[in-house]
Amino acid sequence: MNENDNETETVTIDLTRPLLRDGPKFLSHKVVVIDDIAFLRPTITAMLFCVVYIVVGVFLMSLASYQLMVLSKYDFAIFLGGFGIAISTFGISLIQPFMSRVSFDRKTGVFNNHKDRDVKLQNITSIQINNKIIQRKHALNYACYELNLLTEHGRRINILNHNDQQQLLQDAELLGSFLGVEVNDCRREIIL
Amino acid sequence: MYKEINMIKTRKFIPFFLLAFSANALAEEMSGFGQAVNSLSQSVDGFFSDYTGWFVSLIFKSVPIGEASFPLIVGWLLVAALIFTIYFGFVQFKRVGLAINIIKGKYTDPNSKEEGEVSHFQALTTALSGTVGLGNIAGVGVALAIGGPGATFWMILCGLLGMASKFCECTLGVKYRTILPSGVVSGGPMYYLSQGLSEKGLGGLGKILAVGFALMCILATLGAGNMFQANQAHAMLTYAFDVPSEYGVITGIVLASLVFSVIVGGMPSIASVTERVVPWMAALYVGMALIVIVVNIEQVGPAFASIVEGAFTGAGVVGGFIGALIQGLKRATFSNEAGVGSAAIAHSAVKTKEPITEGLVSLLEPFIDTVVICTMTALVIIIAGLNVAPFDGSGLTGVTLTAASFTETAGVFKYLLALAVIMFAFSTMISWSYYGLKAWTYLFGEGKSTEFIFKVIFCLFVVLGATIQFGAVIDFSDAALFAMSIFNIIGLYFLMPIVKKELHSFIARVKSGEIKTYDTK
Repeated sequence: MNENDNETETVTIDLTRPLLRDGPKFLSHKVVVIDDIAFLRPTITAMLFCVVYIVVGVFLMSLASYQLMVLSKYDFAIFLGGFGIAISTFGISLIQPFMSRVSFDRKTGVFNNHKDRDVKLQNITSIQINNKIIQRKHALNYACYELNLLTEHGRRINILNHNDQQQLLQDAELLGSFLGVEVNDCRREIIL
Repeated sequence: MYKEINMIKTRKFIPFFLLAFSANALAEEMSGFGQAVNSLSQSVDGFFSDYTGWFVSLIFKSVPIGEASFPLIVGWLLVAALIFTIYFGFVQFKRVGLAINIIKGKYTDPNSKEEGEVSHFQALTTALSGTVGLGNIAGVGVALAIGGPGATFWMILCGLLGMASKFCECTLGVKYRTILPSGVVSGGPMYYLSQGLSEKGLGGLGKILAVGFALMCILATLGAGNMFQANQAHAMLTYAFDVPSEYGVITGIVLASLVFSVIVGGMPSIASVTERVVPWMAALYVGMALIVIVVNIEQVGPAFASIVEGAFTGAGVVGGFIGALIQGLKRATFSNEAGVGSAAIAHSAVKTKEPITEGLVSLLEPFIDTVVICTMTALVIIIAGLNVAPFDGSGLTGVTLTAASFTETAGVFKYLLALAVIMFAFSTMISWSYYGLKAWTYLFGEGKSTEFIFKVIFCLFVVLGATIQFGAVIDFSDAALFAMSIFNIIGLYFLMPIVKKELHSFIARVKSGEIKTYDTK
């Protein structure tokens, strides 16, 4: 018999490490609690920024149709239409995550984010606040914050990811008391 | 029954009648709209000529040399590049190997890769994509239209010398950057001018230079980094698809909406998409230029001969060889931005503990941008033979000259070029909004409302730039960009000993083995 079989393997989970590399520079969602359900509500600002792409894309496609049907300018119609389709598709892909409702349901006892496998609320041990700096070569760097949950099996799942620190702290408290778990402030000093 | 059939027929034709009617009505509306836009364009152009004319004249104050008027600012940049080249012991030639080794990761421990750190290949492609833009496409078109083929020679020379200027400013950009409590990195000439000169006991001068630089940076952001880009993007659409120039307002609104969502919204995805697409656009542009050159390989020799001949004779150029030199130097500076200080803002955000490494990496940019890519564009223009003497800019110029030259080899190139130009214009506007915002927040402080005001102004200028005609826009764009170099270079003269010390220290540590080397194969 191998000696190692009796040893329990220890896995260390770094709770200070953010889960996502990117993040928006605006408040994307707020936590709302209604009776036994806590869910993430997208902000109007976030939706509007996504809608800009859809509006511009549709406008370009309309312009392309006009060029095609009225002026018979096929090359410009294809060019505009191509851009229009690309931009509106991009806008739709941006808005899609905002449409799916992420919820913590005490009645069913399940956390569902429509991405990861459902998590039983009783398995959630804590939630953590993490910070990160989003760096880009050709844009402003900015601070961004995450709210992540930890399950007793060691899974970490992202709940919120935006740059409104104040709102995230409030939402963490709200969610912590809703779930009855501790909120760990795992923000760290970031040296660039 | 007959009536019913008629009704059906009539119903069938209703959409066509409506379409025809609406098309006519639309055409009339468009005609009125075109006149209104033309009138607006003329007013804005007149406004720019009247109110920024003095600024343009001041920045481009010239002295007569032979038949030509030599702008002092061009001499200012050239002399500075020459001084930095000599002072740093021809760093751009002697330390190219070191710069390439830094990019290859020879001095970076592969096992200590930090979170968010990009690979060396990514770093290189990002640097390359950042250097290719409208300066390489439209700028070279302007240089050759006014300066003849000989302008290319002076562009190459300016690119080679400018490598030393960029090395100096980018090193200082990282060395004197400030990390704000929010974690945001702020760096660039504003910071090294004020802090660096303060260390030398010249705090007052440093502050004046920093404020002056920030003001000029804001103007250049609105000019070169914004209006020029939008203007040339629409000019490209006009050339490729016969879009009337007065419809620039539509191009402007579309571009402004997208820019707004990025700079105001801070949407991470669009920034990522732009960062991913632009390198492919740069590759597309270089690929098209290579195809033109390879297809016309027998004309490359004579093209180079005309570049060298034109550089010293200036045949057909107003002001002779001095005229060619002025255009070459002006457009090269517009393209590679060496000595201007803008690159120092972008480079200051890099993750490194050694400021000199960023300076060494950055010195490759003017080489790739001006010596390689601008020369490729110039070869395409010369090979096409559409740019003929006298070179007074009365014929094809700017992006249309470049596009027409590409189209001589393959008609499809104009469409691909239109795609590339729009993407470059968009990405350059995003980059410059960052530079402008840094300067704006330096002057007015950080804060949501102050930043929002700048962003809204920036977006309005996108519409304005696409709407108004070329003359006043490019004059203002040039003047503001060159004005940045006045304040920046004064500071660089005072601070260059610090850069030299950093360089010697780094080389000594590499030689002594204190800085370890790693296998990059």
